Amino acid sequence: MCSSRTRAPLPNTLSNVTASTGLASTPIRELRWRRDAARLTAGQLEAVRRGYRGMTELADERGYDFFAGLHGLPLPIECIHDAPTFLPWHRAFLYFFERALRDRSPEATLPWWNWATPDGEADVIPAAFADESADGAPNPLFSARVSEQAIAWARRAGQHVPGRTTFRDPGAGGRALPSKDQVDDLIAIRDFPTFSSELENLHGQVHLWTGGRGGHMRYVPWSSFDPVFWAHHCMVDRLWRLWQIRHNAVGPPEREWGQALPPFPVTVAQTLDVTRLGYDYASSTSSQTVEA
Amino acid sequence: MRTFTSNPLEIPPLAPGRTISRADLVLYGVGHRSDSYEVRVFLDQPDADHGTPLRLDRGYAGYFTVFGHGGCFGDEGHCDPNARVTDEFDLRLPNKATPHTKIVRVTEAVRRITAAATTVRLVCVQPGEDEAAEPSDELSFVSLRLLTYE
Repeated sequence: MCSSRTRAPLPNTLSNVTASTGLASTPIRELRWRRDAARLTAGQLEAVRRGYRGMTELADERGYDFFAGLHGLPLPIECIHDAPTFLPWHRAFLYFFERALRDRSPEATLPWWNWATPDGEADVIPAAFADESADGAPNPLFSARVSEQAIAWARRAGQHVPGRTTFRDPGAGGRALPSKDQVDDLIAIRDFPTFSSELENLHGQVHLWTGGRGGHMRYVPWSSFDPVFWAHHCMVDRLWRLWQIRHNAVGPPEREWGQALPPFPVTVAQTLDVTRLGYDYASSTSSQTVEA
Repeated sequence: MRTFTSNPLEIPPLAPGRTISRADLVLYGVGHRSDSYEVRVFLDQPDADHGTPLRLDRGYAGYFTVFGHGGCFGDEGHCDPNARVTDEFDLRLPNKATPHTKIVRVTEAVRRITAAATTVRLVCVQPGEDEAAEPSDELSFVSLRLLTYE
């Protein structure tokens, strides 16, 4: 005799998110790895540069200006802040940017900027993004031109334009970059709303530190034109991933899982497990293929 | 505003043997339409300013940052969250200029308070010259609340 049973709801855990959304995790051998920007091999760094350079040469929806404009100008500004979807929206944003990057340079993955500085170490932007030139040519990770459309929108609205080419003013007077101790404390927080709020706080701190007294990173509409924006947000995304592993939790409450993340064709649920998006984080990678 | 000092906020005494496990300062209606800024939180330091040391023994309790838009880039009403006709069928996301809620953990500073009330001093700053932050007028908010948990 069959008895009717009420299935208990799945807990909001990382290990159960795959079952509850019906989507499989990616086998580890198929993952691509996002690496520390300070620990890229020469070949990995060149692949990233090639990707950025390729994207800046495109004026359509595969190009750098298009993606920068999703977070910033021209309107609409799509980015989400101060909400449970802050982290999912930016994870989706990085995912689609990285897809476009790899269309231009298939071996490239987004590097992350480890701005959690141990006590006694100087706050710096990684050389990969701080060097003005690379191999005798302008380094595409150092700065980028702001789209004419974005500038036109600002002029039309009578608003300030920081500059036609992105610049930074790192470490101007004020608060330093978040410390490693701060990040350790952050990862230890158990409840997601507090974790997300405090991570967003540190994220804003890095924007202020990098933009300083008027650089593009200081402003929502302009920050995403700076190439280091993507490495900064990759670190933010990585910290969410580390928090998920530490607490075996996904974060956003289930009531948010069906929420769309416009303009991206994904929901919050589809962002919860990075391995379902085909990537994970490592400090560095080195590999060899042996012919059969 | 550049600085703000609250009225004394009551902290009812704890029962014997109990301790505060966590304290939060929550600010509602925090503006972010203009420039980015940092807000430093002090307790019982009504004269704190941008040069006050960030130390517990000087009343420093924590900070938060606001990632600002640098102005409105749309037409009139574009950044007015109330300039919409809405109802229960409205599936649109909130207006991007909707004010934020900020939470600052102030546990250690609250534990040091021995009086039955404390004032909250907010100091708004931005990156400045010579390795120092400079005062900023960007802070705006509607209300604040101090919460404690045992």
